[in-house]
Amino acid sequence: MLSLQQRFPVESAINEIFIRKLRNRHVKVEHSMNFENLHETLTQFIKVQTGQSELFIENLQRLSGGASKEQFTFDLIRKSYNSDAPTTQRLMLRMDPTESVVETHRLREWQMLRAMQGEVPVPEVFWLDLEGEYLGQPAIVAGFLEGTVRPESKEDKMSGIGMYFEPYLRENLKGQFVEILAKIHRVNWREKDLSAFDVPQSNSTQANEWALNQLERAWQEDTTHAHPIMEQAAVWLRENMPVVENPVIIHGDYRSGNFMYDNNLNINAIFDWELAYLGDYHDDVAWASLSIFGGPDEQGNPLAGSLLPIEEFLERYEAASGFPVDRKRLFYYQLFSYYKMAVFTAATSLRVVYSKKTHLDAMMNFASGIGYICISELNRMLEQT
Amino acid sequence: MGPEISQFLSGMKKTVEQVVIPNLTDRFAQEQAGIVAATLGYLETIHDKVFHYELLENQLYKQLLASVITLIENDSSSSQKLNTTAESLKQHFKHDPSDENTALRAYPFIRASNEVMKESLCDIIQEQPEMPKALRDQFETLIKPFFKDIELRERAWVKGLGFDSEADQLPDIDELLYRDGKLALP
Repeated sequence: MLSLQQRFPVESAINEIFIRKLRNRHVKVEHSMNFENLHETLTQFIKVQTGQSELFIENLQRLSGGASKEQFTFDLIRKSYNSDAPTTQRLMLRMDPTESVVETHRLREWQMLRAMQGEVPVPEVFWLDLEGEYLGQPAIVAGFLEGTVRPESKEDKMSGIGMYFEPYLRENLKGQFVEILAKIHRVNWREKDLSAFDVPQSNSTQANEWALNQLERAWQEDTTHAHPIMEQAAVWLRENMPVVENPVIIHGDYRSGNFMYDNNLNINAIFDWELAYLGDYHDDVAWASLSIFGGPDEQGNPLAGSLLPIEEFLERYEAASGFPVDRKRLFYYQLFSYYKMAVFTAATSLRVVYSKKTHLDAMMNFASGIGYICISELNRMLEQT
Repeated sequence: MGPEISQFLSGMKKTVEQVVIPNLTDRFAQEQAGIVAATLGYLETIHDKVFHYELLENQLYKQLLASVITLIENDSSSSQKLNTTAESLKQHFKHDPSDENTALRAYPFIRASNEVMKESLCDIIQEQPEMPKALRDQFETLIKPFFKDIELRERAWVKGLGFDSEADQLPDIDELLYRDGKLALP
């Protein structure tokens, strides 16, 4: 009988994190919410990375709002290279919990953020603790940017789901939202250092095979409840996999909640690159226009990214990217997107609570509600096939 | 039995909302406490229906899987894996028979039995690409209405969590579980 690793081959870096996850699962230690040692370990980590011994950390605080990684902000105080006067830099620490709602590789996120510098707005990344040698868990230190991710609203749910933007915000942000996505897909990734990414063969289904294998393997390893609709969806996705002619960089989680805008209503950061891979641009287009993410307008019409009508989003995307949107493929990737979201929220989220390995016990249980809506949407889509 | 579970839950929810949250200053703690309060409110609406939900699924899975076993046994070209799954299901039905009054069983027994049946159905679904076309068509005819029922039931079950933009159009879980004041068994 084949192991799950043999049944579902994935990119080599992804395979590493699956193995690490299962090893961690056997360690019977609950995830601790106590971060009183973090101040010291983080200071030591940055001293080693910078080679500077005289630096200090202040205002270390846990950040709210995320769903997959533990995030902290802090001020780094040190002498600048060209002056004796101390400078203060606001930074962010993004660290793996013991087990996450989505297990991802920090080197991939680090490389992708670096690859995107100068291409689209992203936070600057400074230091990487790949194996958690200093901080206990793999982590990235990045620049902290000021701005708004989630406008104040009575309709707020969690992690960017069903967000509401006032009409004037939508009008100002929607064009940028589409244009940045088009820019991501047009980046020449062959000129970037993306060594932690396996390159799929062009004109083949390999990119989709790896992507689906990653999700099926996560489902099989993580779910605490077998689900026949999830199984049926996986069979359909495998039998109807499109060929990817020219793989592009896929953000993997491009939606409201993962961008930030400044006071001038300019998008100044795209976040959460941890799910990025090389694949079919339809994947991001489908994910960004998924009805579960986008809150509707005042008349109840669904909006892509809570910002613009879906047809307008597709038309603008085609114009900005030069890539045609094939509606049949879009259907495939919408179904794939619901499957992906269901794996995260109906399987892994419940597993990490069951194993007591998360920093978000209450939220991860609660998020399973999204998972069952996604499974329902999967069934509706399967009925159309 | 007292106090009622719903009273425990509503008491905790009110305390979290009116005592704990207003006195929290940390945004992360406020966010998590808000989710705890919302979870308590959700549990108030569903806690007394858990047993009947699982009991109904137990009966529906038994009914479906009995038909699936017949399909597999009547098809001489069924694969070894399908026949093995059908045989293990028959063994399972000796442990949890369809003609028994399952309602007298303890909740963990029903829950575990349902999980065994779900896993077996998933095994059969995985075998579809290997099935002869006629068998696959017949199997799909059986599972499509079954999936529709699951979809409606699960979506009604989680609508109280507040994520569903269609919540207003969805039935309450009571409407799907009960008919004329009794569990709507097949």
